[in-house]
Amino acid sequence: MSFKVIPKAALPDWIEQMRRSQRVVGPKPLHGQHVFGEIHGAAEIDLDYPTTVIPPKKYLFPQQEDLLTYKLDGSAPSVVQDAEPTVVLGLHTCDLHALHLLDRVFEKTHVDQPYMARRAKTTLVSIECLRPCMSHSFCKSMGTLSVTDGFDLHLTDLGDDYGVDVGTPKGAALLDGLKGVREATGDDRQRVNRIMTEKWPRFPLRLEFDVTELPSLLSVSYDSKLWDELGERCLACAMCTNVCPTCYCFNVADEVELTLTAGKRYRVWDSCQLDKFATVADGHNFRAKRGARQRHRFFRKGKYQTDAFGLLGCVGCGRCAQACLVDITPVDTWNELHRPATEGTKEAAA
Amino acid sequence: MAVRPKVAFFEFTSCEGCQLTVVDSLQTHPELLEAVEIVRFREAMSEKGDDYLIAFIEGSCTRPSDEPHLKAIRERAGVVVALGACAHLGGVNAIRNRQELSELRRYVYGDKAEWYETYPARPISAVIPVDATIPGCPIDREEFIRVVKAVLQGRAPQLPDYPVCVECKLKENVCLYLRGKTCLGPIALAGCDAICPTYGDSCEACRGLIPNPNIESLKNVLAEHGLSVEQTMAKMTMFLTYQTMESEAAAHGNGKR
Ligand code: SF4
Ligand code: SF4
Ligand code: SF4
Ligand code: SF4
Ligand code: SF4
Repeated sequence: MSFKVIPKAALPDWIEQMRRSQRVVGPKPLHGQHVFGEIHGAAEIDLDYPTTVIPPKKYLFPQQEDLLTYKLDGSAPSVVQDAEPTVVLGLHTCDLHALHLLDRVFEKTHVDQPYMARRAKTTLVSIECLRPCMSHSFCKSMGTLSVTDGFDLHLTDLGDDYGVDVGTPKGAALLDGLKGVREATGDDRQRVNRIMTEKWPRFPLRLEFDVTELPSLLSVSYDSKLWDELGERCLACAMCTNVCPTCYCFNVADEVELTLTAGKRYRVWDSCQLDKFATVADGHNFRAKRGARQRHRFFRKGKYQTDAFGLLGCVGCGRCAQACLVDITPVDTWNELHRPATEGTKEAAA
Repeated sequence: MAVRPKVAFFEFTSCEGCQLTVVDSLQTHPELLEAVEIVRFREAMSEKGDDYLIAFIEGSCTRPSDEPHLKAIRERAGVVVALGACAHLGGVNAIRNRQELSELRRYVYGDKAEWYETYPARPISAVIPVDATIPGCPIDREEFIRVVKAVLQGRAPQLPDYPVCVECKLKENVCLYLRGKTCLGPIALAGCDAICPTYGDSCEACRGLIPNPNIESLKNVLAEHGLSVEQTMAKMTMFLTYQTMESEAAAHGNGKR
């Protein structure tokens, strides 16, 4: 749509203005890291943050959410509708790419009502990263280091100002009436271009091959010995999937009141890394080995999602790598598979 | 509910902190008293009824004379619930299982050592069949309510079978390992809502081990984070002595060691 400029000094007014009609959430510091939380005023938000413990997907697909409440008297259950109008302010481009995938997942095969309800009430204001958030990230390799669409507004830090790419009318509406906003000039556009050119070399390419080769690399790696090695180390703690912006597995459970007259049905995040995840009705666990579960996870990220939804299942945010206590990371795993793939052929030929 | 099932509480070797948590739950969930009739509960009443359907047993079995008491409870009760880490795992009491008992007894009781009978601490389930367990040191009051609900509905309560890290991450805590500390969360059974890490303290695995824990790998992690072998063993001993000794014995029995 259009390109505008907001002086940073207008941030307090802007947040106050948005808060009049909806909840504003954004990155805040916590124990040396950052988490997304409600923002009550500009002093709380830190838009120049590295990354967050859990991605902002939690506003569209919360860790735990009630789906239905019911009475045990045979009356019809009622659907819980608690989506709140929310502005997610300051999500990074990797997390925005991840939401793009979740949109497809929750819309394509089966329309997920709770997700769609929250999605409709959410406004996404993303921000461009100008330097790598941490040593574990590899967004450049995954092609998520910037965005061209999918946002309502997209900010670029220009020093004293934010450059604002207006993506949708919903985004434009957030700026209505705000003092200090102006249309971008040719000069502003040049500033943005310069910053974008300067940012690119700061990010390393950490995959040793082009990411478009990843699905086919995995196709030939199903029987790799690497999976068992990862299984030896893996703690099956599920931190890697619980911090991942593209994971969406959940479990559904019921809770009945003590008086046995009413109850509710809720869903809660689940993980393929947990010992009991693949246990079916007769107690059989079809992925009992940690190595098999690791393989499943990396296939989901690098191949299965691409097959099913046309997008990679990993956006290179590096959160899983940072969280894992035994240093199992997508970059090392995929690079390792890529190396023996060539060596292996040599050996086979010899 | 027309007839309220009768409930009794018993204590063996323990600090009675779990029963205190039950008293606490009654304050926050008074509807519990509408659902059951308590006939015996030392923490809150002087009556000692012997007619009950559900028996909650706190504490571990630590001496020969505990056994007939436990068996008598099992005979009277329709449902036996182990209450808290001591009843579930032997609790802190089981730390002594790795030591020479006669020496320990002399250390604790001095020249009166012979007055006291004692043997290695065991969970209740090692002596009598147990229908349900409420883990934790102390128990979590919400979980206590959930288990009571399930028992009243005639179902086996569903306890979490995943590690504390899951609850910890869902609460978006910053991992203690990233804050220069260590934690047993990856091998410890969840259900406490990760209360210790949430308040900045290491998880000590008071709810016991997850199924198939990767203990060897976690030991390496602890070593990388600067813990000596002794410190790691001390961590693993607090609540896990009984479970780890059992799995060592099983591995030994299988000729694996
Ligand atoms: S975070 Fe690491 S140890 Fe935990 S399940 Fe994932 S790969 Fe395994
Ligand atoms: S797999 Fe890891 S790096 Fe990739 S998106 Fe998930 S958390 Fe981020
Ligand atoms: S992974 Fe890249 S895009 Fe994502 S937060 Fe880090 S630097 Fe930004
Ligand atoms: S603090 Fe402990 S429980 Fe929490 S994620 Fe880290 S290791 Fe797991
Ligand atoms: S965090 Fe660990 S020690 Fe603390 S209550 Fe939970 S299981 Fe017990």
